[in-house]
Amino acid sequence: MSALPPTADFQVTAPADAQRSPGSNHAWHGERIPDGPARTARWIGWRLRVLVLAALSGCLLLAILVRALAAVPALPLELQGNKAGILSLTDTTGSPRAVRALIDAQGVQTPIDSLLLQRSARWLSGDAERTWHAVQHDALARALALGTLQLQLDEGQVVSIDAQPHGVAGLGPMFWLASLLALLLYGVTMVVLLVRPVVRNGLYAVMALSQVGNLLFVATESLPLLGWPLGFMRWDLALRCTLDLATAAALVHATGIHPRRLPGSGSRALLAWAAAGALAAALVGTTLPNVWWWTQAVMLACGVLAVLQLGWMQRLQPHPLAAVLWRLCALMVGTLLLLTLSIASLGEVTARAGQAVMLGASMWVVFVASMLLLLPFLARTQQLMREFALLAGVSAIATSLDLLFVAAFSLGNFTSLTLALFIALGVYAGLRQWLLNQVMARERITTERMFEHLYRITRQVQSRPQSLGDQLARLLRQVFEPLELRHLARRSSHARVVGDGASLLVPVPQVTPGATPNVIVLGFAQRGARMFTADDARLADRVVDLLSRAVAFDQAVERGRSEERVRIAQDLHDDIGARLLTLMYQAPTREMEDYLRHTLKDLKTLTRGLAAANHQLSHAVAEWKTDLTQRLAAAHCDVGWDFTWDTDLELGIVQWSALTRVLRELVSNTIAHAHARRVQIDGVLEAGILSLTVADDGCGREPQHWAHGLGLGGVRKRVKQLGGQVQWSEGHPGGIVCRVVVPCKSELPMD
Amino acid sequence: MTVKVLILEDNPVARSFLCRVVRESFSDSIGITEAGDLETARRQIGIAGGRSGMHGVDPFKLILVDLELPDGNGMDLLAELTQYPATKIVTTLYSDDDHLFPALQRGADGYLLKEDRFEVLVEELQKIVRGQPPLSPAIARRLLTHFRQGSESGRSATQGGFTLHGGFVTSKPVPLVDKPLDHDRLTPRESEVLTYLSKGFTIKEIANLMGIKWFTVNDHIKSIYKKLNVSSRAEAAVLASKQGLV
Repeated sequence: MSALPPTADFQVTAPADAQRSPGSNHAWHGERIPDGPARTARWIGWRLRVLVLAALSGCLLLAILVRALAAVPALPLELQGNKAGILSLTDTTGSPRAVRALIDAQGVQTPIDSLLLQRSARWLSGDAERTWHAVQHDALARALALGTLQLQLDEGQVVSIDAQPHGVAGLGPMFWLASLLALLLYGVTMVVLLVRPVVRNGLYAVMALSQVGNLLFVATESLPLLGWPLGFMRWDLALRCTLDLATAAALVHATGIHPRRLPGSGSRALLAWAAAGALAAALVGTTLPNVWWWTQAVMLACGVLAVLQLGWMQRLQPHPLAAVLWRLCALMVGTLLLLTLSIASLGEVTARAGQAVMLGASMWVVFVASMLLLLPFLARTQQLMREFALLAGVSAIATSLDLLFVAAFSLGNFTSLTLALFIALGVYAGLRQWLLNQVMARERITTERMFEHLYRITRQVQSRPQSLGDQLARLLRQVFEPLELRHLARRSSHARVVGDGASLLVPVPQVTPGATPNVIVLGFAQRGARMFTADDARLADRVVDLLSRAVAFDQAVERGRSEERVRIAQDLHDDIGARLLTLMYQAPTREMEDYLRHTLKDLKTLTRGLAAANHQLSHAVAEWKTDLTQRLAAAHCDVGWDFTWDTDLELGIVQWSALTRVLRELVSNTIAHAHARRVQIDGVLEAGILSLTVADDGCGREPQHWAHGLGLGGVRKRVKQLGGQVQWSEGHPGGIVCRVVVPCKSELPMD
Repeated sequence: MTVKVLILEDNPVARSFLCRVVRESFSDSIGITEAGDLETARRQIGIAGGRSGMHGVDPFKLILVDLELPDGNGMDLLAELTQYPATKIVTTLYSDDDHLFPALQRGADGYLLKEDRFEVLVEELQKIVRGQPPLSPAIARRLLTHFRQGSESGRSATQGGFTLHGGFVTSKPVPLVDKPLDHDRLTPRESEVLTYLSKGFTIKEIANLMGIKWFTVNDHIKSIYKKLNVSSRAEAAVLASKQGLV
């Protein structure tokens, strides 16, 4: 059992927080979010040793039980009972011979009937029947203890039989299965108790250990051959009823304080314990008539009370654990009621359905035990265990139905068993998913919808990696429908379920290396109707993984793109630029030289646009100013420069290069053709509209009659490309005013 | 007395153009040595006094270096010539700060853009030699960032020794000294000049805005250049000692 994960704790409560420093606790619905396995080493120390000790002693006790049982003498015969309650023995010819009485070695004769085949007194409802059952078993035990016994058959014939011990090999598969389950439950209980020895875990231990006892009884009673120690059947009822009553009282107590403490839970718990205690005392004294009925009544009452408490808790404030526990309790109480009704309806003829009663009752015990076994792992439930518990539950119902059929319709054993089995299997196959959903309230989002959400959000994350956190939160909201969702600044490597499955911690992948680590805390899945399980954590991890991969992919694509652009730009710049430069130096005329210089500058603008990312407007303005001022100063032209903007937006590459070239072209024109003495350049960015005015005092006139050569055509083309307008007019007192108006929206909002 | 000039440029047309620019710029008699690649340039420098210009040989007074050369990058030569007592000027087609800034860090006194007009180049060259180096807005911005980071890491070094701010590695190594060095900090005036330059103001406009003479602005710029060079060298030394190169 020591192989169980240390976090396998009943009321989950990660083990680490038992000894954690108070400063590191994060309040979250009054639960504490564990810090992870960092401090597991310290708490694990002595507990691990105690756990190993407990596991070893459990194994030792089982070994002693096995040894003791193997040595008990048994009746090496297979007796059968018929409808009339008569025992029969099949002789060598194959015909059944009725067995009337048992004669021991001292000659004491005890009449026996098919009640002898009933291996447990726990499920015998009538007092007289039980007494008679005990008498028969006592006689058998005494006779077996003496070594040789005789069976008196019909027509005065007597068969002499030598008692043989069961032997370890003769304990039967049922014995081993039940005792293994008991050992498993015992181990889990010890882990739960050691991880956090608090009241609620103590109550769990009471319930679980009681069922361990019950399982051991079931195991002992499942021996293939008849023969138990003297007095076993007398104690059987008292002990098993006491164990069941303890379970019921502990259930009432536990559901009153967990997951939330209910008002008045103390008095109800006290009442339950008092009733159970009084009844157990009466059982030991065997003075109370109809003791079986009392036991069943108290157990059912306690069960109903527990279900009511959980329902009440759920109504006060939804809690996923309460919802799940409510369902589990309802299922257990329901099957117990069915079983009780079946046995009650059989009345005094229990003996007839002997085997079926045994099987049904055993199944119920196994079912309850597996539920208890399941409980600590609810938040990390394994598929196998859920199926097992479900199968046990269905079997309990099936055998109860079988008993009902036998009682109500007087069907034959075989017919009723087959019928019940078919119905149960049908129910199981048809409603398995629905049942699982009900038990775990697991309404999985359909695959198509899941895919749709994932696809959409992955696309969005790809286009805007900064929004990863928000998109992830949105996706998780859609998948798990939590009541609450909150961001916490914490570091976590993977998704974790905390606080009894009430919350799920999902780490947000970091897009930028400097960002603070962040986790999303989801509280109460499905609007509080269900618990988070390990499956959910795995799903969340997958989703996070997918989204981070999408982001990484996008970043890689962008990186590749920009690398490619830079390379093209470099090639253009180095090769074409160097040739243009040579040509420029060798230009025959001044005009040619200027033309080539212009081309070279355009090439440089182009390559810079390719290589650079976006340009901030203020930076671009500074460069324009320096560049144009320098050029105009070289042409001995004064410059007036005034540029204002309401927001310093980020210019895209297209915007930047178009504006740069428009301004350069306009200034070139002024220098080349207008022979201006002064140029005034004004720019205003207001409400997303950029207006540029270039006014000179040169000799240009009548712009409407200009022939649009390469230069002006280029200006028009670029302004049109930006979705704006350009206009030339005569200025006052002279010269040309060029006005460019372009919409200028930022491609990325500046923070 | 002849002023010795070294022009390192692989394109012969460009080289002769630069020769014309140099001759036009100075009234002294000029002795120009031309080099088409780094190897030739190194040899010529070796004849003219070695890397530090010693041995009593008449060293070059002016060196023009192209960045893209057939046998390497002019940047390497600049790095070798940090002690050489000449005015070193980068002549290049690249006008972006990504190319120019490293050259300035390696001790270039200025830069000329080869595609500029003849007259512009002459004027710029004269300015540089007179100690009025150009500073484009982009480079001014880059300088501001450089010195801001420098002083920040200097401060963090006084507080926490090896603290890497923000948790990620910056391109600037953390100084191992206890107090911020002078070359890591700009005076308030220098910062102001740089800020104006980064906004595209001309020297004259800055002088007006700050109420000082234009040559005072130039002094500030020269001082910034020097600090950049010194701080870059110190940075390189720290980096080298950290990597065990020294």
